[in-house]
Amino acid sequence: MGKLKEAIRYECSTSFKYIWYFYAIQYAIVALIYAILSISTGSTERLGVSCLETNTFIYVGIVSILGMTEDFKMLIQNGFMRKYIFISTVSLFVFMSGIMALFDTAAGNILRHIVYGYTTLFGSIYGYDNIFISWLWLFLLYMFICVLLYLAILVIYKIGKTLSICLGVALGGTVLLITAVFQYVLSNEAVNKIIETAAKAMGFMPDGTIIYLFPVLTLLLFVVVLGIGSYAVIRRIELKS
Amino acid sequence: MNSILIKNITKRYKGVTALDNVSFSFEYGKIYGFLGRNGAGKSTLINIMANRIFADEGEVVIDQVSAKENMEVHEKIFCMSEVDLYDTSLKIKDQFKWISRFYDSFDIEKAFDISRKFNLDTNKRFKALSKGYQSIFKLTAALALNVPYIVFDEPVLGLDVNHRELFYDLLLKDYENNERTIIIATHLIEEIANIIEEVVLIDKGKVLLQESVDTLLGTGYCVSGPEQEVVSYCRDKNVIGNDELGNLKLAYILGEKSPLPHGSHLQITAMNLQKLFVKLTEKGGN
Repeated sequence: MGKLKEAIRYECSTSFKYIWYFYAIQYAIVALIYAILSISTGSTERLGVSCLETNTFIYVGIVSILGMTEDFKMLIQNGFMRKYIFISTVSLFVFMSGIMALFDTAAGNILRHIVYGYTTLFGSIYGYDNIFISWLWLFLLYMFICVLLYLAILVIYKIGKTLSICLGVALGGTVLLITAVFQYVLSNEAVNKIIETAAKAMGFMPDGTIIYLFPVLTLLLFVVVLGIGSYAVIRRIELKS
Repeated sequence: MNSILIKNITKRYKGVTALDNVSFSFEYGKIYGFLGRNGAGKSTLINIMANRIFADEGEVVIDQVSAKENMEVHEKIFCMSEVDLYDTSLKIKDQFKWISRFYDSFDIEKAFDISRKFNLDTNKRFKALSKGYQSIFKLTAALALNVPYIVFDEPVLGLDVNHRELFYDLLLKDYENNERTIIIATHLIEEIANIIEEVVLIDKGKVLLQESVDTLLGTGYCVSGPEQEVVSYCRDKNVIGNDELGNLKLAYILGEKSPLPHGSHLQITAMNLQKLFVKLTEKGGN
């Protein structure tokens, strides 16, 4: 277990400082936009920026991809088996998503009080009643993006460029097919039922109430399923020279 | 007996058989030359030993423990690879720090000491190093690891002659002080001929021979002279290759020397390891 601890430590500590580089750059850009708007319009009423959490999607996505391309190589060079590599990578996702969700929740809730019209992602969907749920939801959303992209890059690495393109085309086709099925095959009643179920999964009840636990459980389910899928693929991954 | 046992390993890539039912062993406490032409299957086998790829059939057993996805062999084997697998954005001193955390047997002081001997700047990032110094970092990491089985895959790639000599010196000194198994896969055969004790020659995915260097050099020789006399002498011998030089014919033979016929114009000369390798892999041998 000592070796696993060191692998986790490697993953987390080599990524930690870049989180703060990312925020420093992001908020420097926001400050610049704010300054330009203030000078050019003479007003600071509307910053024109909201939901900065969406930028974090890009960051966690890049880290997830690097988890395969860079960290996998480093750990396999140092004799780690795939199970340990997977656990340490998921630990990095938990660590990174936890910290970034915390920072984004705190920053978002501060910004909405000092910047006119600013909204957080969670707040714009569910409101601002529960900060803990806001953090938990964002944490799971970041985790979802991490494991989704990690699975995608693992599959691409495993099956190669040509098959990945074919898979992409097939996925695109499936989306079109599902859209067509919704439009032309399913009855209105069936479509409404599916939409209602999806809304429930996101916490919106038919009576207008919101149950925060449902989106949390839905995201958790996706994370677990994608995580199991990633593990199934990484167990068979071979290093390409 | 402690060893790396390669048991019936087969590996195929899209219709190409890279390794075809390969079986042999690397015994503990010897220095091996693991030789073969480009695409012979050396790196494939090393990658299977290091768990970087999987065999389609067969298994690698290290000291009676299966090496496949098994952390029990983590402190037993280390493979320095030809390709760059390290975190390229880390400084060399940080690479050493992490390797010392990953391996109990990593001697970080020794790593810095070897770095100084090679003038390797440990404050530089891996990606900022020249190809030669990247190789130096990788072989430094391997030399500072005190595991029983060390595999070097093209260790002197991009190194100048001085650095290559220094590496061979350090390797031998290290081996004198701490006997273990060292496996060197390289194309620079003559450079390692004086270091290695045993040769494993692989060609087209099969083991062509496994023999001690002394035995090989003792049984490999070259007979040269007029064609008819050479042909006559070579009858019933294991000829692994021929060359022609004007009117002279040269035959490369593996096996017992028989005395030259009385009054013949033939000459017998020793065959070096590189020539032996070339002739064996040129024709396949028998």
